[in-house]
Amino acid sequence: MADERVEVVLRVNGRDHRLEVSPRWTLSDVLRHQVGLTGTHVGCEQGVCGACTVLLDGEPVRSCLIFGVQAEGHNVTTVEGITPESGLSPLQEAFRKHHALQCGYCTPGMLLTAQALLDREPNPSEETIREALTGNLCRCTGYQFIVDAVMAARGQGRGA
Amino acid sequence: MAEVLRPQMMGARVSRVEDPRLLSGQARFLDDIQVPGMLEVAFVRSPHAAAKIVAIDADAARRLPGVYAVITHQECPIVLWNQESYKVGQPALADGDVAYVGQPVVAVIAENRYIAEDAAELVRVEYQTLTPVWDMRDAIHEKPRRVHEQAENVFFQKSRQTPGFDEAFAAAPHHLKASFRTNRQTAVTMEPRGTAAMLDAASGRLTVYASTQSPHRMREDICTLLDIPEHLVRVIVPEVGGGFGMKATCYPEDVVVAHAAVKYRKPVKWISDRLESLESDVHARDDIHDVEVAFDDDGKIIAIKDHLMADGGAYPAYPWSGAEGETGLAARVLTGPYDIPYLATEIDCTYSNKTPLGAYRGVWGPIASFIQEGLVDRVARHLKLDPADVRRRNMIRKEQFPYRNAARMIYDEGSYLESMEEALKLIGYEDFRHRQAQLRQQGRYVGVGISVFVEPTAMASSEAGEVGYESCTIRIEPSGRVTAALGLGPSGQGHETTMAQILSDQLGVPLEDIVVLHGDTDSAPYGGGTGGSRSGPIGGGAALVAGRQMREKLIKYAAHLLEASEDDIELGDGKAWVTGVPDRSLTIRTIAQTAYLDVSKIPEGMPIGLEVTGRYLPKRPVTFSNGTHIAEVEVDVHTGVVKVTRYAVANDCGRVINPTIVEGQIHGGVAQGIGAAVLEALRYDEDGQLVTTSLLDYLLPESTDVPRIQVQHIETPSDGEGGIKGMAEGSLIAAPAAVACAISDALAPFGGMVDTLPVTPEMVLKMVQNS
Amino acid sequence: MKPAAFQYFRASTTDEALDRLAQHPGSKVLAGGQSLVPLMNFRLSRPDVLIDINGVADLGRLAIEDGELRIGALVRHRQLAESGDVAGAVPVLPLAAKHIGHWAIRNRGTIGGSVAHADPASELPAALVALQGTVVLRSARGERRVAAEEFFQGFFNTDLGEGELIVEVRIPISKSRFGFNEVVRRPGDFALVGAYVERSGPGGSVTWFGLGGRPERLLVDAWPQDAAGRGTLLEELVEGLPLDVSEDYKRAMAVTVAERAYQQAEGEK
Repeated sequence: MADERVEVVLRVNGRDHRLEVSPRWTLSDVLRHQVGLTGTHVGCEQGVCGACTVLLDGEPVRSCLIFGVQAEGHNVTTVEGITPESGLSPLQEAFRKHHALQCGYCTPGMLLTAQALLDREPNPSEETIREALTGNLCRCTGYQFIVDAVMAARGQGRGA
Repeated sequence: MAEVLRPQMMGARVSRVEDPRLLSGQARFLDDIQVPGMLEVAFVRSPHAAAKIVAIDADAARRLPGVYAVITHQECPIVLWNQESYKVGQPALADGDVAYVGQPVVAVIAENRYIAEDAAELVRVEYQTLTPVWDMRDAIHEKPRRVHEQAENVFFQKSRQTPGFDEAFAAAPHHLKASFRTNRQTAVTMEPRGTAAMLDAASGRLTVYASTQSPHRMREDICTLLDIPEHLVRVIVPEVGGGFGMKATCYPEDVVVAHAAVKYRKPVKWISDRLESLESDVHARDDIHDVEVAFDDDGKIIAIKDHLMADGGAYPAYPWSGAEGETGLAARVLTGPYDIPYLATEIDCTYSNKTPLGAYRGVWGPIASFIQEGLVDRVARHLKLDPADVRRRNMIRKEQFPYRNAARMIYDEGSYLESMEEALKLIGYEDFRHRQAQLRQQGRYVGVGISVFVEPTAMASSEAGEVGYESCTIRIEPSGRVTAALGLGPSGQGHETTMAQILSDQLGVPLEDIVVLHGDTDSAPYGGGTGGSRSGPIGGGAALVAGRQMREKLIKYAAHLLEASEDDIELGDGKAWVTGVPDRSLTIRTIAQTAYLDVSKIPEGMPIGLEVTGRYLPKRPVTFSNGTHIAEVEVDVHTGVVKVTRYAVANDCGRVINPTIVEGQIHGGVAQGIGAAVLEALRYDEDGQLVTTSLLDYLLPESTDVPRIQVQHIETPSDGEGGIKGMAEGSLIAAPAAVACAISDALAPFGGMVDTLPVTPEMVLKMVQNS
Repeated sequence: MKPAAFQYFRASTTDEALDRLAQHPGSKVLAGGQSLVPLMNFRLSRPDVLIDINGVADLGRLAIEDGELRIGALVRHRQLAESGDVAGAVPVLPLAAKHIGHWAIRNRGTIGGSVAHADPASELPAALVALQGTVVLRSARGERRVAAEEFFQGFFNTDLGEGELIVEVRIPISKSRFGFNEVVRRPGDFALVGAYVERSGPGGSVTWFGLGGRPERLLVDAWPQDAAGRGTLLEELVEGLPLDVSEDYKRAMAVTVAERAYQQAEGEK
């Protein structure tokens, strides 16, 4: 079948992008290769690893399991969108302070899941945090410092 | 001259300089490399474990719009073959036959990955299937057939025995036999492999972007295999999303991409997907050990006999087979931290119709520790002794260092017994035994497993290659800021931070004034890269050596410009001053400006500029880290599901550069160890099909599978530069054994002991039911 | 792992979706996509036409009517897990829904998709069978209702016909007490084996999933009061199921999860 293109307008991190996409391009590929936001990482294309997690209208979703065309009419937030213009957000700062990342590949997805958790529940317990993060795999850290960072960022909001 | 500088960065809990770019989504990983006109590759891979290729028809694929080229072995006749070591090598693209599921057969190069995959589906390959060789014990006996007609299945064989073994073994009052099995696992870096290559239009040189641990090693391999001289190849390693040894190998896909970039003069990129990752990244840990242990009435172990077998897969990974690495070193460090005088080992590594075996963090170690600690626990149970006591009775004592083990490895000083006592305190061993007894009354089964490990680090040769040294170039810029470059290939270890910490102390400049480059063969001095826990001790050693050389230069300058004796110059805070007269000072910036811009004031005999390259080759061929892991588990005897509930580590890696980073490494290795112990297995069926082809089948530990890990540091410095020992693998060496021993301990009332990794719920249930 | 090309239609009403389905035989309905898209990425599913129903507001209804909990096909797992209405009407449902995948999956995955996909190891199809639910199907030809027990026919196989769309599932609000339990190796994984147990008067039922090709509901006349007696009864029930001899572990697990589900049903008020 021919790989036809359709025009969509995607709202990503508060900006509208007019794009020509093939319907079969996953949102992760569209974000990375059409919008140029390479902070969203692809780890399994099966919805298991969580590396590609973005927020769709504020809720964490797998961008490898949504087609780019489907995101039209929704607000997409990527790691670039939770990063202040200068410096880092309180959650990002906590990640740095607590050494919550090593290779950094899972980190954007981890941050978005954690941020969404803190947005809906400002003071989650360690158990709640661990439960929320089960869908984000990390091969480097053993999770402990990630959990510590999220705990430390409780009650600090999103920052700038 | 004051030896110790203030503030000391070495040993400080410094936040990483790498983090801001990684946290903000700005870091550049391999798939983020995009240049105009770049083509993407999809591979047609073998669906069969063993088959002859009868015909390949790629016409339909070539005709698909958007397809640039389709290539087979005919167009890319390269074989990844280390002919000095092996009788066979793997063709980059299959040449007439296939020997494992997932082996690259055809490469499709297209506008983008979607179209490349469309075209790959159109390639018709006709196969004539053969009986797969998939059982290790059969394969060793050439059954059902040879994997490669021209070579015996057993490609590596070695026997070694301590003199007097037979007599000592026979004379011992007690003997036990056990067979241990570790099942195939793999690293599963969160970032899959990938390669991009392109010609530089101006110079005609080939640039290869590689997700690898060893930039120079990769350049060597590309140059050798493509027959291009080194000065015409530049390897750039961008951000690497995890390596764990798996990315220390040069793969067929790397070679095909580089070849295609040269052949078509187009930028070409291949990114592995997860299916490809599970079937084509090197596998590891496919080993069987048939073991006998001899011991006395007190539990003192006298002798161990081990037949080590490993299934190396279809080809040796390039340039060496992981099977050889796993067994060869396991046979030499099998006695671990214990003073066991006699050892007899026999190794057989065989080919099979499975994915090649390569390196995965710890390589030999997780297997050897599983056996060594499993034996100690068997001895303890047989004699009804406490497992900690049996370890105490066998442990190598402080006064025995340097200690030569039964396989003639020399251990430098460590804190073996001390680490165990510390870890026992951390876990609360005595309390635990009371708690365990109480819980058993309630039908709950908890256990602890003790794993005392030794970790040979900074070895003269490792998976990073035979380069036993590392190099560091330091350039102080006219501004006084520092650019340093090393040949390391970090994948999350934080070398930019730890190397800068070392340099900061030596040069007396603040951390933020130092940038550490790595991963580019154009900027980095020749080096071995990252692997075998060598970057800290050898890379750090090179940074120390180079830093000292630069420091001497700075002191000479300062003494000259301040008109003082070199002995009286101190460096710190970006300044040099005369001891006791802090007002008589100048900034490093002033020195640098003199060196580059005010050259008439340069001290006599000194060259223009501030640049040095220091190299460090450790005197010892290896330095041993050590420590103890203790895991506490609860086993649900009704479902067989194991939960690791508590975990303690006492770790000794010599002088610690950055304790936070060391702890991060330990946590990560423990998580991988929990995976290795209870979750992760690559399974093949009798047709040689890999059946674990997604992350729903190959299970990685999640955030709720890993408990809080308490870590205590002990420092027994090495006698090498800085007293640093390597440490990245010890945690994965020790953890599977700790968890396995804990499961055996929990299930003690049922009598069985763990002998296979990973321990599945089904296996646990069998152990419970068989009692 | 990239999907094959397809034509994409976004439906905004149920009728529009049904028209498209009628026009394009072999098309697939895209709801949450948490099962379909992985299959497409592996190219194990390659529809020519994809009809996206995420914009059909009607399909997102969640209501209690005529003694039934009516769940629109587009209701996400997360809504089931968090809705107070659901918890009040059918308490076991949110309990089970919390075990589906991970947070991000629950945010997207829908009950209609889960029912259409009919994974034998998934929680919701078994819940429908255990709770005696009904699947409401609509096509250009009209609407029909199929009892869940008949709808699920085998491995990934249902009674869903050509051109039909799952629009709703209905669960009778029952006085029975239900319990749920499953064995997983990690949270969020598909169950190795799972069970719903119903306690209604002296007896009830047990519904297993992950054992064969579809959820199996078996009636129990009278639950023995003692655990040993229940064990024997459950073992007998499991023996009657069509299982491989090699599945000793699953057989043993079936008894364990059913007993645990029973305990939970007992604890539930």
